[in-house]
Amino acid sequence: MFPPVGLPLETVRMRCLLYLGCCALVALHSVRAAAGGELLSPDAPPEQAIDHYIDTRLQRVGVSPAPQADDANLLRRTMLDLVGRPPTALEAKAYLACQDSAKRLQTVERLMASPAFVRQQAAEFDAWLMEGTRGNIREYLAKAFRENRSWDRMFRELIVGEPDDPKQQGAIRFLAARAKDPDKLTNDTSVLFFGVNVSCAKCHDHPLVDDWKQDHYYGMLSFFSRTFDVGEFFGEREYGRVSFKTVEGESRDAKLMFLTGAVIDEPATPEPDDKAKKEEKKKIDELRKNKEVPPPPLYSRRAALIEAALHDSEQAFFAKAIVNHLFNRLFGRGLVMPVDQMHAESPPSHPELLAWLARDLQTHGYDLRRLIRGIVLSEAYARSSRWDSAAQRPAESLFAVALIRPLKPWQYGTQLKLAATDCQQYPAEMSAEEMDNRMQQLEAAGRALGASFELPGVDFQVGVDEALLLSNGEKIANDLLATGDGSLVGRLAQLSDARAVAEAAIWNVFARPPADDEVKALTDYRSQRADRIEAARRQMVWALLTSSECRFNY
Amino acid sequence: MTAHSSGVSRRSFLGAAAVGAGAVAADMTALDVLRSPLLASELKRGEKRVILLWLAGGASQLETFDPKPGRPTGGPYRAIPTAEPGIHVSELMPKFAQRIKHTAIIRSLDTKIADHGQAARLMHIGRRDEPSLRYPDLGAILARELGQADSRVPDYVNFYTATEGRGSGISQAGFLGARYNAMFLTEQNTPQNLHKLEEINDLDHVERAELRNLLTARFARGRESAPLASHNEAYARVRGLMASEKLFDISGEPQRIREMYGPTLFGEQALIARRLIEAGVPFVKVSRAWWDSHGQNFETHLELVTELDHVMSALVDDLQARGLLEHTLIVTLSEFGRTPVINASLGRDHFASAWSVSLTGCGIRGGTVYGASDEDGQTVKDGKVGAGEVFATIFQALGLDHQKHYEVGIRPVPLTDIGTKPIKEVLA
Repeated sequence: MFPPVGLPLETVRMRCLLYLGCCALVALHSVRAAAGGELLSPDAPPEQAIDHYIDTRLQRVGVSPAPQADDANLLRRTMLDLVGRPPTALEAKAYLACQDSAKRLQTVERLMASPAFVRQQAAEFDAWLMEGTRGNIREYLAKAFRENRSWDRMFRELIVGEPDDPKQQGAIRFLAARAKDPDKLTNDTSVLFFGVNVSCAKCHDHPLVDDWKQDHYYGMLSFFSRTFDVGEFFGEREYGRVSFKTVEGESRDAKLMFLTGAVIDEPATPEPDDKAKKEEKKKIDELRKNKEVPPPPLYSRRAALIEAALHDSEQAFFAKAIVNHLFNRLFGRGLVMPVDQMHAESPPSHPELLAWLARDLQTHGYDLRRLIRGIVLSEAYARSSRWDSAAQRPAESLFAVALIRPLKPWQYGTQLKLAATDCQQYPAEMSAEEMDNRMQQLEAAGRALGASFELPGVDFQVGVDEALLLSNGEKIANDLLATGDGSLVGRLAQLSDARAVAEAAIWNVFARPPADDEVKALTDYRSQRADRIEAARRQMVWALLTSSECRFNY
Repeated sequence: MTAHSSGVSRRSFLGAAAVGAGAVAADMTALDVLRSPLLASELKRGEKRVILLWLAGGASQLETFDPKPGRPTGGPYRAIPTAEPGIHVSELMPKFAQRIKHTAIIRSLDTKIADHGQAARLMHIGRRDEPSLRYPDLGAILARELGQADSRVPDYVNFYTATEGRGSGISQAGFLGARYNAMFLTEQNTPQNLHKLEEINDLDHVERAELRNLLTARFARGRESAPLASHNEAYARVRGLMASEKLFDISGEPQRIREMYGPTLFGEQALIARRLIEAGVPFVKVSRAWWDSHGQNFETHLELVTELDHVMSALVDDLQARGLLEHTLIVTLSEFGRTPVINASLGRDHFASAWSVSLTGCGIRGGTVYGASDEDGQTVKDGKVGAGEVFATIFQALGLDHQKHYEVGIRPVPLTDIGTKPIKEVLA
């Protein structure tokens, strides 16, 4: 049905050889995961398990981690991760002033209960699940996160989908955006939901992973091979097999096979004759014309994929992949790197922790909130991103020092908009509801601004286009350096004391207490421009907005 | 994705220096990049440059580099002899014919794909797409291989001012990262955001960037990260790139030179390309659309080939006069050629089975033809090659090892697919 794209045999063989050579090196250097061992009690909360396993490894290698980040830093990090924006200066001041020893826990719980949490998770999952497509499932995801739907349910709704169910409206776009390219659908599904990039096994058995063969690739492809679209809806045939050519040139029928090698028994379905096929085509054309949902098949291979994935309790690809993804998102690094290489030759940095969290997720109904909360409340998450120690900077995989993460486009857009707005626009006495309304407007503007920025992937680099836009773009200057009421520049104009101007600017943009040296740099800058004080204010704000402190989640 | 070259990582070196580099780059507007002795000496050292003439829509090989006069597929145009005995080209290319000693023609491309989008991708990245890997295009690879990380000029400029086929005329840095994205000009001949706003004076523009660097350096203490370094590298390049704005302005070129390139948009962009190359830009792509002559092929090609002949010849003469031709490779590429069979609308359709490209200048054995199509141009008779071989040849002509590989995650990705060989016969 989908003939394999043939690389010349020689190319395949040589690529494998090169690959294997490289892999041998990887294998030599990688420390095998400690085998077996009892996991920490399943009754422990996730944050405790995270710290237990990470600290155990730190002690074993004799590394003292960085201290906890200060309150302002940690508040910013937590808010960016949970609600997609940094705190305002007033929010930061209130948090710093609060003496309650439980303030961190309370803040995390308040943030996770807010509508902004739903928006941020929807934005994150949409960017992740729909990257490289033109589709958007943000509305569906917002619905799902609002109800705290479980991850297995979301998986089912995205892959199988019942378009008649209003609760699932929009989920179908996951498939729709990929339906024209079965290879992409197969590989994206494997990468996103199982942490496994199978595309290497398309043209030849995987050179790196012994137990991944072409059979696995075409086995996975088979789950989608009967799917067809009728405009915006999808149907599934009850017949059809995938066949492929091996490197040796042998032609082979693919089995319906999950990544674990489990072959799914399905009802035998003979290929219909030409007449039946013609009739089928007519029916499909009619459905398309009438914009109707095709009737569900008696046996659905896509549904079989869900069952296979959820029954895989041993290797737990499905649970481990989402654990790894959220680790990667919230720590800046997964327990397995790269995140699409979850296999025997790419061992986790903390195998027991990965296994513990996967089990915890399974036994708690795939509740993503529980996992996110656990990560964010761990001490490992709360570490400083600054390594001031004289000792050598520890390897990233130890989670001994927090990593710096580039903001997502909508986060950076919102950060810039918020930083350029006078924080007094959001006074402490404003109701939570009013505040959320205002923040939604700000986020919408931030998202529009963010369209100019790139979604960061692994080893992301900031392009010079961004620096040029922020340096010379007219709209940027009019928008972020506006002088009117409600803007930061406007507020600075009302202050006469040079030090007060610098401090207000730093608070407003960085949401943390100013340090003397930066206050001095700003006051000096301003005093050298006594003849053009308004220009000076705008330039100071520009320098703060474009600094790396605004660009990253640190 | 992670992409490290197999040698010493330039990025890690720069990572440490990036914040400090801001101050160095900050006063570059004062520097005339054209007259900078540093840049002149760089070129003398043999830095290589590329101008890609992208003939969007699919130029006919029969009306350019591989005429079939007298055959049923030949069309109305004659073949003319070139300065190199035995080599004939279409009569629409008389100027090119006289300058053939700088050019190698490859007449034996069989690239299989005959739809615009996919074929254009193939000819931009030199290999087939893969669902799991975003390959960089030729320009991004050469920006990385030939450019300097802290360059004051852009390292990949891409003109595509027509609308037809622009979506297929891709420009992607892929796994090399946004640092190697093209400066993409679609609306006008001058890039966006290179010009300082009126509201800020030049000194303030420089000094506010210094203030930014100071604040950022403070933040960066004790923090290490490649994206953080890239953020500051990007800002460090701003002033230098602004200084390069005048490279896009040809109003100062002598009238004689402007006339040489001609008053067409394609000619003007080729002249800008020469100015950019001269200032050290390693890769410039100039796109000319729309060659997709399903009807009235011969009128279309009369116009477009005549212009191409003129512009290519102007480029060759101008680069040669400036001593730049030996450092500069001019490439003509399309997504495919056109069918030998002439259809009922006197057009030629998409054809990927036997078509031609040309390589001129740097590293090329001029006055040569490699490969051959059959007498009607229906199939490759001799020396069949694909996109990979053309790319490998381009890399070799520029002194780059086409087998050099990047590490993408844990996977080694060579510049061209393994097993691909350059076409030695056309290399100097």
